[in-house]
Amino acid sequence: MNAMGFAWRSLIRQPARASLGVLGVAAVGALLFDMLLLSQGLVVSMRDLFERTGFDLRVTATDSLPGQGPLIPNAVAAARAIAKLPTVRSAIALRFANATIVDGGPRGYYTSFQGVEGTGAHPWSILRGRDIGTGAEIVINENTATRLALAPGSRVVLRASCTDQKQALPPMPFTVAGVAQFPFDTPRGATLATSLEMLADACGGNESDEADVIMVASQDSAGPAAAVADVATLLPDLRVLSNAEAVNRFERGGFTYFRQISTVLTTVTLSFAVLLITVLLTVSINQRLGEIAALRALGFSRWRVVADVLCESVLIVGGGGLLSLPIGGLLAAGLDNILKRIPGIPADVHFFVFQPSALRVHLLLLAATAVIAALYPIRIVARLPIAATLRDEVVG
Amino acid sequence: MIPRRIVVALAAVAVAAATLHAADTLPSILISRQLSESEHIAVGDVVRLSRESDGAAAQQFRVSGVYEPTPDPARLGAVIREVQLHLPDLLTLTREPAMPAGSEYVESINVALVDPADADAFARDVQARMPGISAQPATGAAESTGPFLVLRRFHLAIAIVTIVASTVFLLALTIMLVDERRAAVGVLRLIGLPIRRILVQLFLEGLLIATIGSLFGLVLSLVSEGLINRFFQWRYDTALVFVRVTPEVAAICVAIAVPLGVSATVVASWALLRRNGLRLARR
Repeated sequence: MNAMGFAWRSLIRQPARASLGVLGVAAVGALLFDMLLLSQGLVVSMRDLFERTGFDLRVTATDSLPGQGPLIPNAVAAARAIAKLPTVRSAIALRFANATIVDGGPRGYYTSFQGVEGTGAHPWSILRGRDIGTGAEIVINENTATRLALAPGSRVVLRASCTDQKQALPPMPFTVAGVAQFPFDTPRGATLATSLEMLADACGGNESDEADVIMVASQDSAGPAAAVADVATLLPDLRVLSNAEAVNRFERGGFTYFRQISTVLTTVTLSFAVLLITVLLTVSINQRLGEIAALRALGFSRWRVVADVLCESVLIVGGGGLLSLPIGGLLAAGLDNILKRIPGIPADVHFFVFQPSALRVHLLLLAATAVIAALYPIRIVARLPIAATLRDEVVG
Repeated sequence: MIPRRIVVALAAVAVAAATLHAADTLPSILISRQLSESEHIAVGDVVRLSRESDGAAAQQFRVSGVYEPTPDPARLGAVIREVQLHLPDLLTLTREPAMPAGSEYVESINVALVDPADADAFARDVQARMPGISAQPATGAAESTGPFLVLRRFHLAIAIVTIVASTVFLLALTIMLVDERRAAVGVLRLIGLPIRRILVQLFLEGLLIATIGSLFGLVLSLVSEGLINRFFQWRYDTALVFVRVTPEVAAICVAIAVPLGVSATVVASWALLRRNGLRLARR
């Protein structure tokens, strides 16, 4: 019988003990797996979201995030100039504001309001109806459509709010052209979009050619790096960021907390697993010292009994590790649901994202745990004095 | 209260501003430690601030002090480059040319009460007398905001998983430890000690071990509290406290750990004691 088969038989001799060991490793392993998914999940999810918008450059007036800094002056002209660059496929100017839909209630329905102008596709996907045309038309997201029972063709009156200052702008009528999905919508967020010109009209018509951000799609043949260089040369007063740079900045921002907590918890869970498996194996070995000494006396080599202990550790950790994957998947879904309730998080962003690299690291860490946890019990069996142990067993 | 957007914009301009030396008659400002360190601006220096990104219509200010920003978990990881101005100076600097003085607005007003215990009643009173104004006690405001509630739930979920894993391991360990004393328990049964008496003894042993283990865990958490806080404060350059072992938290931990330890011992012992005494004592 080989070492693995022998270790298996040793474990099933004590089914309760072995099962509890495997279950314990499964619980710890599930937490470890989730922490690995969390460590890069948010960044991977944000990168995916950026790429899905179809634009790979963002041009802003300052280093502030779009919507939180000063507006870009002459934005439409700038977007057209950018679109003509050989490394650029298309460019659109976007301006963000807020609006209240007058719905008969005392306060109205508060929404995010954006205006777009340029040569590229609009940064939303039409679900029903059609895209905005040249008139006073808007597209609305699903939450707004459901909440106010609106459909393509419905008429709405909205009051825009375009600066920090308290404004009393006149209400303006719009026709709903379609229902759209916006990539950065929050689960309960309400979003409207129209042309930059109509947004400027709703904002009082004083800032008709200003935008928060110009989104640029680079030519596939040129790539974003060349487009960044060209745009920066064309408009040296503006800030240009590629998706990779934006993700990098995001990674260094406030959400590094999740990466840090995942590192801390990974370290703690691994230490916990090593300590407890070591204790389980050590106690188990101590109870079987006489048996192991007898096997040595019968001709089992030192390396063979060492291999038996190592295989026992591998079986406990391996069994627990296999169980940890489905448990970890379910746990990750639950924890993701909790974290996605943080206000302002887009509905399509996830904190726990599966990546093959996370699975590889998980397996590697579990394998290291199995080996490290077995070191001390291995030392006991390797140095076991056969005759003295047998005598103690008989005399004791 | 200075609007954050303006503070950020001003800070960004301050970064680009040249430091000059000028007379003491200039209006004074405070700058954050991080801004002072990154731009080498010292107390007494004169900086130029503008609300425009191109530095137009800049005004001169004298740096009268450097302050440590109030720790803010929402800005963790951000290098806080901030400037604090006297409110009239800020309004003068940021007012639109066409806007008459006195028509500006502020985002919030911080109120210090004579008796902080009156905060709830004061907030209710303000809201009743001034419709449209939201008044909240400062302590409640911090805890009622979404991100902190969500993070608390997340940490609770992680804690529950950890407790489940610990319980399983604990049960496995106690089964083995009790099993190791099988012969001794068998002899006690054979000399006439009733199961109940042995169970009480094992219960007391479990209680003692669980209590000592809990106390050791508390000492370990107190030691690691300092280490974790120091590491993350260094990592994020913040005075924020990340881990705090409060008496309440310690009590909850002991209240969970001791019953868990004792229960695991009793469950494992009961499984052993149900066996025949002769069988237990047999080698």
